[in-house]
Amino acid sequence: MIQFSAVAKRYPTGYEALRDVSFEVAEGELVVVTGHSGAGKSTLLKLAAGIERATRGSVIVNGQNLSSLGETALAVLRRHIGFVFQDHKLLFDRSAGENVALPLRIAGTASDETGRRVRAALDKVGLLAREKALPITLSGGEQQRLCIARAIVNRPAILVADEPTGNLDAESSRSILELFLSFHRVGVTVLLSTHDESSLALLGGRRLALRGGLVESADRAGEAVPG
Amino acid sequence: MNAWIRTHRHALADALRRLAAQPGASLVAVFVIAIAVAIPVLGVALVRSVDAAVGGLDTDPHVNVFLTLDATEDDAKRVEAALRAHPQSAAVKFVPRAKALEELKATTHLAELLANLERNPLPHAFTVRTRTADPAQLAAVRTAWLQLPRVEQVSAEFEWAEKLGRWTRFAGRALAGGALLLALAVLFIVGHLIRLQVVTRREEIEVSQLIGATAGDVRRPFLYHGALQGLAAGGCALALAAGLIVWLNAELSALTSSYAYEFKIVFLDSSTLLAVLLGTALLGWVGAWISVSRELRRFAGRS
Ligand SMILES: Nc1ncnc2c1ncn2[C@@H]1O[C@H](COP(=O)(O)OP(=O)(O)OP(=O)(O)O)[C@@H](O)[C@H]1O
Ligand SMILES: [Mg+2]
Repeated sequence: MIQFSAVAKRYPTGYEALRDVSFEVAEGELVVVTGHSGAGKSTLLKLAAGIERATRGSVIVNGQNLSSLGETALAVLRRHIGFVFQDHKLLFDRSAGENVALPLRIAGTASDETGRRVRAALDKVGLLAREKALPITLSGGEQQRLCIARAIVNRPAILVADEPTGNLDAESSRSILELFLSFHRVGVTVLLSTHDESSLALLGGRRLALRGGLVESADRAGEAVPG
Repeated sequence: MNAWIRTHRHALADALRRLAAQPGASLVAVFVIAIAVAIPVLGVALVRSVDAAVGGLDTDPHVNVFLTLDATEDDAKRVEAALRAHPQSAAVKFVPRAKALEELKATTHLAELLANLERNPLPHAFTVRTRTADPAQLAAVRTAWLQLPRVEQVSAEFEWAEKLGRWTRFAGRALAGGALLLALAVLFIVGHLIRLQVVTRREEIEVSQLIGATAGDVRRPFLYHGALQGLAAGGCALALAAGLIVWLNAELSALTSSYAYEFKIVFLDSSTLLAVLLGTALLGWVGAWISVSRELRRFAGRS
């Protein structure tokens, strides 16, 4: 489903955030990316979702080599990958419901269908009652859930989440991770980053540890994380 | 209804919402563009009206030969033969004095005055198409024909009509140049207004792009915004120009009613009106396109 081969990413500043990364995520798998701050987790996830382009090597998603795609094709591909941003990327002048509806508006979904799907997504993350609320009135955990609702509203086959439990307390973290596990159970491929060991324990799944832009250690496919 | 149509409908609704959200600013913008468009529209109406008036005048090289008042038909026949024999004459048309009077009555407001005359004040005349328009050669022709018996006057009056024709052609060109400059000004105005919109919506654009909006998706509402602004400005410009023309015509008719010739500014025909509306909408569209594309490149450069 997702395949990195000898991938390097150098930002325009000249900094090489990923140096030589190879790994593979099979369909329906849950893979957790770990590493200290600055190790390149966000960079790796953005490359997998077609938000950034690799400088070297190849990123293949769903059989498509992303470096061969033009800007428009890459944008269209992004519609089919749900992304939960580390910094949420919510629009604070729009209601919760409108934020979740944004991907559907872009895709040109009919408005009755949009309404149905938005409510289903909000329901799934437990925010149905807050459809009309502005994001600023939501708690950190709720904003995170809203971001997840927007990522799943298009029913993507791949869900990428960048530290979705970032600054949350243990209880909120737990319920968010449960959400991802529930998506994983229904067959969604999940690629998630965290720097928090307790999350790792709860999620299980396969682990990909980064350090300084290189893969420090990786569980082989099908191998469960001990503990 | 398919997704493509829906994205366009969304974009149109979005543009209308943006325009309605700041009615004051939108109105000012539309009015500023309208003034820039109204100027050439008015110019076109004016030049076309003058052109139509000049079109009624004979601008081909010709000379009018007037006989004396006491010249008879026989005199006229002899003069006609001489005129036809001249190497510079291409065609000779005889205008009997009775017919000249009728024409004068029909084409001017002098009918009443003329009816009161005891006798026809007009002589027999000829209109001779010449093979040359060269002033020196025409002068020679004139001198030669003045020598003919019973010829009182030879005039080459087409010259002023021709000059007027040249002036209207010149004015037409000056107008085309001016219109081009003003079209550029409209592009800049729309581009600037759209740029402000893009900048205030930068966050929304960036988030949209992150979750799968193509450059086309991002551009679409702004293109509608620009086109709608252009269209509204075009309509406003036409209304402005029409109002001005009505007012000018009122003045003109007071001015020219005492003359034989009546001049009036005619407003643009329907196909030109349509062209103005489509043209301003297109200018808005293009201005928005340029502006959004530039801003998107700047965003891309920064991230
Ligand atoms: N757009 C960018 N331009 C330049 N350098 C960048 C950019 N994004 C990230 N970097 C650099 O690349 C390195 C890796 O960044 P990345 O965001 O992938 O790390 P991370 O593992 O997600 O860290 P964190 O846990 O703090 O989120 C960092 O040193 C960062 O400064
Ligand atoms: Mg990060």
